[in-house]
Amino acid sequence: MRWSISPLIIVFLCLPAVADELQSRLALADKDRGRVVFGPCRTCHYPDALMGHNSGPNLSEIFGKVAGKQAGFAYYSARFKQAEFVWTPQLMFTWLENPMAMFPDSAMMSLGVPDPQDRADMIAFLMQATVPD
Amino acid sequence: MDDLSGLGLSRRQLLVAAGAGSAAMASAAMALPRASVPRWDMQVDVIVAGSGAAGTCAAIEAKLAGASVLVLESLAIPGGSSSLSGGVIYAGGGTSLQRALKVEDSPEAMFNFLTRVGSPNPPREKIQLYCDQSPAHFDWLVAQGIPYTEKLTTAKGLPMGDESLYYSGTELAWPARELAAPAPRGHVPGVKGMNGGRTMMEALFGRLKKLGVELKTSVSSEQLIVESDGRVSGVVVSQAGERKYLGARLGVVLACGGFIHNRPMLEQYAPHLSRCSTPWGGAGDLGQGINMGIGVGAAALRMNEGFAVAPIYPPENTISGILVNRAGQRFISEDSYHAVIGHSIAYEQQGSAWLITDQASSYSSPQDNFPLVAESSSIGGIAEQLDMPRGGLQNTVAYYNRYAGKAQDPLFSKSKTYLRPIQGPPYKAWDISVDRAFFPAHTLGGLATTVDGEVISSFGELIPGLYAAGRNTAGIATAPYIASGLSVGDASFFGRRAGKAVAGSQ
Repeated sequence: MRWSISPLIIVFLCLPAVADELQSRLALADKDRGRVVFGPCRTCHYPDALMGHNSGPNLSEIFGKVAGKQAGFAYYSARFKQAEFVWTPQLMFTWLENPMAMFPDSAMMSLGVPDPQDRADMIAFLMQATVPD
Repeated sequence: MDDLSGLGLSRRQLLVAAGAGSAAMASAAMALPRASVPRWDMQVDVIVAGSGAAGTCAAIEAKLAGASVLVLESLAIPGGSSSLSGGVIYAGGGTSLQRALKVEDSPEAMFNFLTRVGSPNPPREKIQLYCDQSPAHFDWLVAQGIPYTEKLTTAKGLPMGDESLYYSGTELAWPARELAAPAPRGHVPGVKGMNGGRTMMEALFGRLKKLGVELKTSVSSEQLIVESDGRVSGVVVSQAGERKYLGARLGVVLACGGFIHNRPMLEQYAPHLSRCSTPWGGAGDLGQGINMGIGVGAAALRMNEGFAVAPIYPPENTISGILVNRAGQRFISEDSYHAVIGHSIAYEQQGSAWLITDQASSYSSPQDNFPLVAESSSIGGIAEQLDMPRGGLQNTVAYYNRYAGKAQDPLFSKSKTYLRPIQGPPYKAWDISVDRAFFPAHTLGGLATTVDGEVISSFGELIPGLYAAGRNTAGIATAPYIASGLSVGDASFFGRRAGKAVAGSQ
């Protein structure tokens, strides 16, 4: 339990550095590679609004949304239900390195995307794919 | 740098590869001799490692048989790959749902389908039992509280609506329809969307709770404990960084899933699957249970096999296009079940394929599963953009069109429903290759078991006290994967049998 709050605080403290790294990696990002990297995520999350929720919540317009609050999705963990933070590319970039380490009690049991350029490619893809046409 | 083993790998590369391998394993899965166990931190009759469909069904039956049961889950959330799946159970031979919907089926037709259509030398004994007892097994699932609706759909693919019965496999495609009388056998919880697995697992967890079975999460099984006579008598687990020794008086059931997320293991055992873009399974599918079994001498079968899915439908209009390989030749009937198509691409076409569409068979709404890689007003233009052998694709389309106009497909007997000439630009090519497309894959190889889930050694002998089920074993689902619901069906059916057997094995 001693990790129940601190990881998120650490993440927020580190975000400026993360933003720098993500920015430099986004400049090199390959959206099509990102589309492929996103494959395992897609088995639970649809990026476009049309398909609705799956095992995980829909990701349409995810950047800018408060975490854990989407209408019609009843399967958030207690932590995400209570979360007050907003999804940003930086936070997503940090979280997806090892999701189960950052939020061990999240319902999203994912091994994450350890390679930073893979993560940046995927975020570049998501920034495009989650915006409505 | 010296070149080791003639593989063109330097010593450093080999060391890096070895390091990657050990990092992916939680620990060496070699068994621990009972003499080295300092104490029992807990003892029960039966330990079940893994909380997917196989583990929960084993636990329910072992408990009903009177055993004290402990279920261990390595992750914080139980349910394994089963809870992420569509929750389809392949069932037939006249289930109560089939009968209610006036669907004709027989155990023989189901057996013919499962033994004639897929891999050579299928596990006949398991399949026979699975088919004969399928109606009773379905009734048992209903009795556990899994909701099904009396609704049938003939649309291809997992129903997005709340229908509970559909053709979940390749039954209607050639050659299956000539080898076995087709019937809809995909039994899926009657909930909207594709989350049937979650609904199924919620019901099974509810049942576990009612029966008073303890389920511990965030406890990972590391090693089996073996008595001096070879009997498996417990498990070494890791919980919050602490090593604990759990005794199982009657036996251990390994139900830890497959190994699709263990990259080194995948590259070693299942190289075709390792190239697929989308490892599909719960995060616990790291092969730990399989390695623990191998550590006590178990045989592992069909480790190269798996299902690889090329989900070209829905929408169904695309099935009127044609699938071609690198040579510009068709290689399969496009109305085959998408895991049969995926298998052919991954295992037989060197991982590469394209869907060629005309105006009517094109994807009409935006989709990013399959990238659009060529577009032209002529088939020749498509062939050129795909760098195919000169004339190959044109010959394929000309031959296909000549017969499709007469509702015939001399090569692959594609169903008439989808058969018409490719004509009307723009022509398009969509990349359906394993590494470019959305191409989910899951392993099917695992430990050798009897029909009662008893684990068999490399010498063909039973390993006392050790049972296994689900994707921890090699079950009735083999490659090619010919229908949705075979894996979870096998896990639930043989999980139950393992649970009964371990509880009665005193």
